[in-house]
Amino acid sequence: MMLLRMAWRNVWRNTRRSVVTMASMAFALWVMVLYSGLVQGYLGAMEDDILEMEVGDLQIHAEGYLAHPNVYDVIDDPDAIVSALHAQGYGAAPRLLAGGLGASGEASAGIMLRGIVPELDATVLKVADRVDQGTWLDASDPKGVVLGRRLARSLGAGPGSELVVLTQGTDGSMANDLFTVRGVLDTISDGTDRAAVFLLAPAFRDLLVLDSGAHEIIVHRPRDVALPDAEATVTALAPGDDVKSWREIMPTLASMLDATASLMVIIFLIVYLAIGILVLNAVLMAVFERVREFGVMKAIGVGPLSVFTLIVLETTIQTVLAIAVGLLLALPVGWYLATVGIDVGVLGGTSVMGVSMHDIWLGQFTPQLVGTAIVVLVVIVCGATIWPAFKAARLRPVDAMRYR
Amino acid sequence: MTVTSSPVLQLEQVTRTYRQGEVDVHALRGLDLSVGSGEFTAMVGPSGSGKTTALNLAGALDVPTSGRVLLEGTDLASLAAHQRSRIRRDRIGFIFQAYNLIPVMSAFENAASVLALQGVSEAEQRDRVMPLLAELGIEQLAHRRPDQLSGGQQQRVAIARAIAAKPAIVLADEPTANVDSTTAERLLDVMERLNQHHGVTFLFSTHDDRVVAHARRVVTLMDGRVHHDDVRA
Ligand SMILES: Nc1ncnc2c1ncn2[C@@H]1O[C@H](COP(=O)(O)OP(=O)(O)O)[C@@H](O)[C@H]1O
Ligand SMILES: [Mg+2]
Repeated sequence: MMLLRMAWRNVWRNTRRSVVTMASMAFALWVMVLYSGLVQGYLGAMEDDILEMEVGDLQIHAEGYLAHPNVYDVIDDPDAIVSALHAQGYGAAPRLLAGGLGASGEASAGIMLRGIVPELDATVLKVADRVDQGTWLDASDPKGVVLGRRLARSLGAGPGSELVVLTQGTDGSMANDLFTVRGVLDTISDGTDRAAVFLLAPAFRDLLVLDSGAHEIIVHRPRDVALPDAEATVTALAPGDDVKSWREIMPTLASMLDATASLMVIIFLIVYLAIGILVLNAVLMAVFERVREFGVMKAIGVGPLSVFTLIVLETTIQTVLAIAVGLLLALPVGWYLATVGIDVGVLGGTSVMGVSMHDIWLGQFTPQLVGTAIVVLVVIVCGATIWPAFKAARLRPVDAMRYR
Repeated sequence: MTVTSSPVLQLEQVTRTYRQGEVDVHALRGLDLSVGSGEFTAMVGPSGSGKTTALNLAGALDVPTSGRVLLEGTDLASLAAHQRSRIRRDRIGFIFQAYNLIPVMSAFENAASVLALQGVSEAEQRDRVMPLLAELGIEQLAHRRPDQLSGGQQQRVAIARAIAAKPAIVLADEPTANVDSTTAERLLDVMERLNQHHGVTFLFSTHDDRVVAHARRVVTLMDGRVHHDDVRA
């Protein structure tokens, strides 16, 4: 109790130094929370887009399909694999893929047809949530299609527009049909934005004269299953097919996400190292200018543990105040970044590695992220305090009295 | 030579050698000194004669290179560090030359700090320390911080702290070195009164002749040994 009172008074003894120390700790925390929240938001949005809108966790293709995509190389019995995966708690959905030409009014463009089963697709991807205009596919509208954002723009098409699709059937015939645009997607990825035409699987099969099989099965693993384990499970269920994780399908994206995450850790370390040095310096100064005082204290019978505790308490008080202030200041800004975000739309639909950046960059602040920032700060401050506190605790009064 | 009924402090053939780089500094070279209960003894001698070293050993702040230091019969060298720390808290009062006080604590808190370390309740600290401060004439300064006190007032607070827990002996290393001579006289008057009225045992070093004049026994050190031991009437 006496120690706490002393520690409190000691903190305010050199007000300027304490305020500078606390301000830098608070600032570091503020920067780290906001910075990592933004990076996490960026990475999260990118991963969501890619994994939840486009790729899924894993994909199954017929052997050789990825190297040379063509409508003939299909997974023979996709339904068996899909239901086996569902039975194990996985999400799985077959997709039918083909290239073609789309025309609406005077405009035309190359398109990627994606035939899906909406109920199954919803177990792996959230494309349905990304409809910007109009509505998503529905079994009641067999000839309805949903277009990628930029495709719709270049065709000048919107909900209600007619779309003529031209492609080649598996029987070698020229296939064409008239569809109605039901919806237009928000931005997802370069490929989807530019060319995707989503349609119902039966419509796809009619158009291309493809009775069975699927070109792709997209798999979504249960939350608690690690990616490599999921890959092993899926591989066992689909022998003879080609199973790949998203990391193999999009290696550059995977390494970019990794690099961004490591960069964040490095910046974390640099900022905190600077703070660590600053705190170390402040504590060292606070200890060395009080050597005689500690000498007197130890002479009259204050134990080394109490001296150690006193110094630790002094930094603890400053750290607690700094954390309170840092969080208080980070709160409104973090709330703003998480809800309103930064408008990067002025950059004009930037895309990084085929992943379209959203117009609004939202921060993502989890308790875990804030907790990590605090814990790391506390660890660094402890590290910077222990040595000087230990020195002071070990001081011999006789030496301390001679010190000047 | 003084013969006292119950020696509080005994230094027997004490040597203390400091190692300073390549050379040994022999600060004490076989010091014999016995201080009895109730004494008011000054230690004098030229600078470097070993006064501070002797007081540090007597105060369990340091251990001798050879010889024995007994406080109330206990050989201090036989104790572990934490035991010496406890002896200092409970049996020894310290008054240093300067910077005696903890700057963030009030005069009262400083004076009561040894009692607080002993776990004495705040009420009892008040009951015991306030009369002392009154006796030392600094009662009305109890709430002040050290930097709001004069040098003499600070030393009075240090005296109060040193005697508050009723130690066996009060050790004071040049307690008047940092105050003017009038203040020094007054401090000595105060110490003398405490010695006479409360039987507090004092051992202090000084090289101020006017301070020495108050002592009833004057031990002169020279080159780390007792050169003179002069008991006055
Ligand atoms: N910690 C130390 N290290 C080295 N030499 C010391 C130390 N303390 C004291 N001395 C030396 O020991 C001798 C006695 O010093 P001291 O006891 O301080 O004498 P006094 O208090 O009488 O002036 C001096 O020569 C001094 O320089
Ligand atoms: Mg000295």
